[in-house]
Amino acid sequence: MDRDRLRSEVKDLLVTGLRLQVPSTDIQDDVPIFGEGLGLDSIDALELVVLVEEQFRVSIPDEEVGRKALASVNALVDFIIAERPA
Amino acid sequence: MPGGIAITGLGALSALGRDTAELTAGLRLGRDGIGPLTLFAHQGRCATAAEAAHVPAGPWGLPRATVRRLSRPDRLAIAAAAEACTQAGLDADARAAAAVLAGATTGGMLETEEAYRRWRAGETRRLRTSRVLGTSLASSGAAISQALGIFGPQETMATACSSSALAIARAGDLVRRGVVPAAVAVGTDALCRLTFAGFDALQALDPERCRPFDRHRRGLTLGEGAAALVVEDADHARARGAEVRALLLGWGTATDAHHPTAPRPDGEGAMAALRAALAMAGLPADAVDYVNAHGTGTPQNDAVEMSVLRAVLGTRLARVPVSSSKSQFGHTLGAAGALEAVVTVLALTHGILPPTLGVREPDEAWADVDVVAEPGRRAALATAITSSYGFGGHNVTLVLGRGDAR
Repeated sequence: MDRDRLRSEVKDLLVTGLRLQVPSTDIQDDVPIFGEGLGLDSIDALELVVLVEEQFRVSIPDEEVGRKALASVNALVDFIIAERPA
Repeated sequence: MPGGIAITGLGALSALGRDTAELTAGLRLGRDGIGPLTLFAHQGRCATAAEAAHVPAGPWGLPRATVRRLSRPDRLAIAAAAEACTQAGLDADARAAAAVLAGATTGGMLETEEAYRRWRAGETRRLRTSRVLGTSLASSGAAISQALGIFGPQETMATACSSSALAIARAGDLVRRGVVPAAVAVGTDALCRLTFAGFDALQALDPERCRPFDRHRRGLTLGEGAAALVVEDADHARARGAEVRALLLGWGTATDAHHPTAPRPDGEGAMAALRAALAMAGLPADAVDYVNAHGTGTPQNDAVEMSVLRAVLGTRLARVPVSSSKSQFGHTLGAAGALEAVVTVLALTHGILPPTLGVREPDEAWADVDVVAEPGRRAALATAITSSYGFGGHNVTLVLGRGDAR
């Protein structure tokens, strides 16, 4: 799977999984996922961990890993590529 | 308390509309809020309900993430509380010092059911946290406090269908004892599969529509909504120039200790609640001008309720108009006590006697009782009572008076 396709899958997951009222194309690749931009909070973070683990079959075992993996769309794409089963 | 306990603001969302203005119009015109159930699929004996006319989207100044996750009853509750606070003219400082007393029965069960359905269907491997957060009955009070900046005591009542009547009583208690100058009492509930299937299984739903006090009544019709009342020290209200819309003159509570769902046949618990409420108000039965009944439309409830009214009001009963507003907006369960208290205040302030819809043949057992017929009437009222009887025998009666009565 190429990077661009993975990137758009991640954005679609954010929008549909968290029921955001923005088009997925509006989500920037390098902007922090949490904080002001998308209006997500700590409960969304817990939910997103579950969504990402289910859809991409990777494991986000703790907060430290989560913070790095969910820093931005690009960071999440990098994490999935590095961690997912071959 | 010299000046008494005032009601200074009302809020209501139900099948009869998105605010108290629409509710007032619905009561005046005798509108019917009961229609087909559309919120979810149900296979059973009954397919009618009184669905809320409008569920607001917010955001009430709340963070986007919080608003996104609010359950249906929480949205209804915030909107009702906000309307009541606006109507009462409570500014930020007054709200900060206030209390929130909420009543509910199923919280965010509708959303929880959907999350559970998706999980059972294999659409998700784990339950979605965000969709089950509203399960707690306490979430409505928390959301209201956050949205309106209320920092005083916050309590949630869970006495089934009398929950929000009890919330009003508790609000009156906090105000009377000087704990807070004002309190927002709120009731809320949304339709959900659990209550719909549950009441249907109990054979408590009329397959068509409820017909309270009708000889051939077969059960209740479920509704949904939220209502709120600002309960305030009347002297405090007058000092800040607020309009005293009504007075909370008394309340009484008592328990059947009889059965999980059925009312006690001799009505002793309900009678005790009504007597205690009148005693607290210092009023004789002859002072009662109007009864907004619990009036669910189940064979048992209405029979027990009429015998309770007859026992306590005596000969006065023949001269007191009685209506069941559940015939207009359904049985809203946790919201019922507050919503019907709002109706009772509107009856007092506007001189409206709302009708009991669906009655085709009045029960001959109470042929002497003035059950208000369609489309309702007008009358000048000074004092009214409204009762709520919850499963498990949780009985609450409130006595309300017109704002200029003292």
